[in-house]
Amino acid sequence: MNKKKTARALVLLLAAVLVAVEAVAIIVAWPKQAAEAAAGAETNDQKAAARLDAETAALRKRIGALAPKAAHIIIDSARNTLTLKTGKEVRLQAVVSCGSGSILEEPGGKRTWIFDTPRGEFQVKSKVVDPTWVKPDWAFIEEGKEIPKKQEERLEAGVLGDYALGFGDGYFIHGTLYSRLLGRSVTHGCVRVGDKDLKAIFQAASIGTRIYIY
Amino acid sequence: MPLLRTIWGCDFRALPVFCVLCLSFPAWGGDQTASLQNRLAKQELLLAKTPSLYFIVYLKSKMIVLKSRGMILQEWKAQSIRAWGDAPPLGPLTLEKKSTLFPPKRTKIMPAADEEEAATFELDALELKDMPSRFTLFLSGGIRLHVRPKARGLFPRLGNIGHLLGWNLWVPLKNLSFRLRKKHFAAFDISLEKKEDGQAVYWALPEGIKGLVFPL
Repeated sequence: MNKKKTARALVLLLAAVLVAVEAVAIIVAWPKQAAEAAAGAETNDQKAAARLDAETAALRKRIGALAPKAAHIIIDSARNTLTLKTGKEVRLQAVVSCGSGSILEEPGGKRTWIFDTPRGEFQVKSKVVDPTWVKPDWAFIEEGKEIPKKQEERLEAGVLGDYALGFGDGYFIHGTLYSRLLGRSVTHGCVRVGDKDLKAIFQAASIGTRIYIY
Repeated sequence: MPLLRTIWGCDFRALPVFCVLCLSFPAWGGDQTASLQNRLAKQELLLAKTPSLYFIVYLKSKMIVLKSRGMILQEWKAQSIRAWGDAPPLGPLTLEKKSTLFPPKRTKIMPAADEEEAATFELDALELKDMPSRFTLFLSGGIRLHVRPKARGLFPRLGNIGHLLGWNLWVPLKNLSFRLRKKHFAAFDISLEKKEDGQAVYWALPEGIKGLVFPL
């Protein structure tokens, strides 16, 4: 009987300790206010509050001024959509194809490529009519072919559509032979666009046009 | 109450208080909106001046916003946001790690053996549908954002019970251990309306991206 009582007392004691620790943990973890802000400007003073509001409005204006006013391109790589905007006005929306996210390893494991469309802010750096694809090394490795030594053996015409907009590091917004795959993530990092939309984007964009990819 | 007081003959008067503490919705108090908005604008200006994408988590407005140059690229509305721990630092934070039970796996392309094999096309891409909807974002400064979709159906609801137990019991203990080691800790439980929203957040926020978490 005594052993049972002792065991029960021990279990209760342990439970009580756990509950006490948990209670202390909860009290300690209770969300705190932003002390830094509280220590900041005193908003009870009406003049100080007005000054603060005016400063905030000026800061907001400066942030707003950073957004592009001219034509710019926004690409949603998750949904494979492209939006051409001027200021806040949407001029065109298109279904595109972005990077597949696949990995290619060179036999022997010397080099690895990850076929993602890069994210961030870019600019149109080149505009090409009737572009010719200069096949990079990975294209030959993927096809199981030997990497050519001569540059002219890398050239392939007609696969990038009628126009291409280069945005750096070998990445382009270009046309496609595989329009049935638009809307799917299938590319090696470039952004493929349908013929009609590509023409409109090419005409609206100029060197320096900003491209936002997320 | 008499029942609670007399379980195993012990005094459990503190239990209701404990339960209320466990279940009550944590809130941020005080009216510092104007100074917080000012602080947010200052911090956002620093981020908007760079060519990188950045995010802002608005805790009271329950919004996650992806931006570039002050322009909103995408926004997600949360159903609820709860918190434990310290107030988040009112400055830029870096997404250090994304953690999930089943992280999406990239497909490895096998070089074609011959031209015939090279001509066959297999669509094996990493797409939005492959992203997890339940994950944790570890930000610099000991900030954790637990993102999950609103539970619909039996199994997600059962899963949420486990999550709630972890959130209400385990996270405070974790906070305590951080506090004892004099480390900053803040955890936020973000419940999104749709599973797709969680997947889009996982996709849109790559490791290394900078952002702000503000009690606004």
